[in-house]
Amino acid sequence: MSYIHVLNLEKRFVIREKRKKGALSREKKTVHALQNVSFDVERGELLGYIGPNGAGKSTTVKILSGILTPEGGEVTVGGRIPWKERKEHVRRIGVVFGQRTQLWWDVPIQDSYDLLKEIYRIPDADYRKRLGEMAEALQLTELLRTPLRQLSLGQKMRAELCGSLLHRPDLLFLDEPTIGLDAVSKLALRDFLKWENRQYGTTVLLTTHDMEDIVALCPRVMVLGHGRKLFDGTLGNLLSRYDTVRTVSVRYEETEARPVLPESVPVQRDGGSLVITYAPAEFPTAEMVTLLQKAGTIRELTVQSRNIDHLVADMYREMDL
Amino acid sequence: MNTIRLYLHSMRMLIRSQLQYPASFVMQTLAQLVMQGGEMMAVILLVNRFERLNQWSAGDLYFFFGLMSVTFYLTEIFGRGITGNFPFLIRTGQLDTFLVRPRGVLTQVLCSAADPRRITCVAVGIAALVLGCRMSAVQWSAAKVLLMAEAILCGCFLILGLFIIEGIFCIYSVKSVELVNALTYGGRSACEYPVDTFPGPLRILFTAVAPFALVLHQPGSVILGKPLFHWPEWTAFVSPLSGFAVFGITWLCFRRAMRFYRSSGS
Repeated sequence: MSYIHVLNLEKRFVIREKRKKGALSREKKTVHALQNVSFDVERGELLGYIGPNGAGKSTTVKILSGILTPEGGEVTVGGRIPWKERKEHVRRIGVVFGQRTQLWWDVPIQDSYDLLKEIYRIPDADYRKRLGEMAEALQLTELLRTPLRQLSLGQKMRAELCGSLLHRPDLLFLDEPTIGLDAVSKLALRDFLKWENRQYGTTVLLTTHDMEDIVALCPRVMVLGHGRKLFDGTLGNLLSRYDTVRTVSVRYEETEARPVLPESVPVQRDGGSLVITYAPAEFPTAEMVTLLQKAGTIRELTVQSRNIDHLVADMYREMDL
Repeated sequence: MNTIRLYLHSMRMLIRSQLQYPASFVMQTLAQLVMQGGEMMAVILLVNRFERLNQWSAGDLYFFFGLMSVTFYLTEIFGRGITGNFPFLIRTGQLDTFLVRPRGVLTQVLCSAADPRRITCVAVGIAALVLGCRMSAVQWSAAKVLLMAEAILCGCFLILGLFIIEGIFCIYSVKSVELVNALTYGGRSACEYPVDTFPGPLRILFTAVAPFALVLHQPGSVILGKPLFHWPEWTAFVSPLSGFAVFGITWLCFRRAMRFYRSSGS
């Protein structure tokens, strides 16, 4: 059986609505946070989990990490049912909540780690070795004596990550880990996750809105919307359906040069250059370039695919999310 | 054993982190002193006006007041996670972070907060106890010291147990339920006075439901040499255990209730 096995997972929340004027009791509404979600994950996989806000991503993570009890379906992680054998289960996992700290606010992060050592019953020697290694990889060595509240957002996230990996979990959940981080911190975080995954075979399941995270880290991606699984496969496969348009930006030596193009291809003027949007499937790039060259001497030419966020937005729109 | 070590380690750290803001700490500690001093004033005024309440002399009243203060505020110092922070943990979803660690939820809640500011309230309580003992000329013996320690310890567990009830409501309703305060803070204010000064229904409430009478007043009355309800003295060693019972029952209910925990936010 696979390391993580999820079959027909179901989670409902009952929401009590505001009492209407004159009514005595409040109406109840059932929200299906997850319906019939099934998937399997093998050890050592890096899996990205995407979907718009409210799709059920965090709910899945909370069920898999033993925080919530589902209404139906089967879940096992390493052969254990998370919410039934919570303590044994969480000993083997690490969780990072992007918006919720797990460390203590007013004390140096080293003190927080010392307490985590106690909580997870990590042997002394192992703890020292692991902390040294992690602090180095996450560039925290200089910061160990600094209270958490004085750290920047990026430093804080690195500190959180270190805290959640001290006990060498087999499985790491990351709930929006790069939220609010600057470019350098994001890149460092991604590099670290790749390293941890390669070095120790740690399985990583990550939810995010940042598609760059997925591109950089996750060979496999899962899309969730309205509590249902909509896609499971590689990002390339997912986007090939939506990634149909290219944009050419061209600048001529002669400012008045105008290429002659089919009417279906829109041309826009952007400063000194022309921006042309076309679908290579109907109008091959080679043909396009030939037409452009006929119009004059090209000084500069760039071909771009669309921003991945736009593609995802298109995808969500088409899936009616 | 490891759990106790974890708890002590947490307490050390929490108290250290409170002292990170020394000015604020001193101010708040003094504010607590004024607050609890005010409560004591109420007893002093009462004693000045009436001299005695039923069979209880002024010294006895100070003694009961002190016993309750010491017990209640010790609980607040060391059990702040349950007595104060729990609704906050639920509402913000911070409890999630406890659930992903291999320890009991209540253990971690207890380890998550301390309130050393209440130390002045405990000091007021000790002052009242000393004053009461001198005025009532209490004859101390090893058994009485032991009884006192037992009463305070069991009292702490009783109060924790009552606060857990509030926590259980909180799991279901997300927002804290002030109703339970009638038992906790209401119990504290009422049971600063011995239970037999109250009318029947309240007496039953504080004996059978929230047994402050069994946990604090019964042993207290034996220490003062005026056994409550005219029960034999040895019962004073048994009755405080009802505090543990309340804690045990609410702890079991809490474990069941955690299954309905819904978490919050993303």
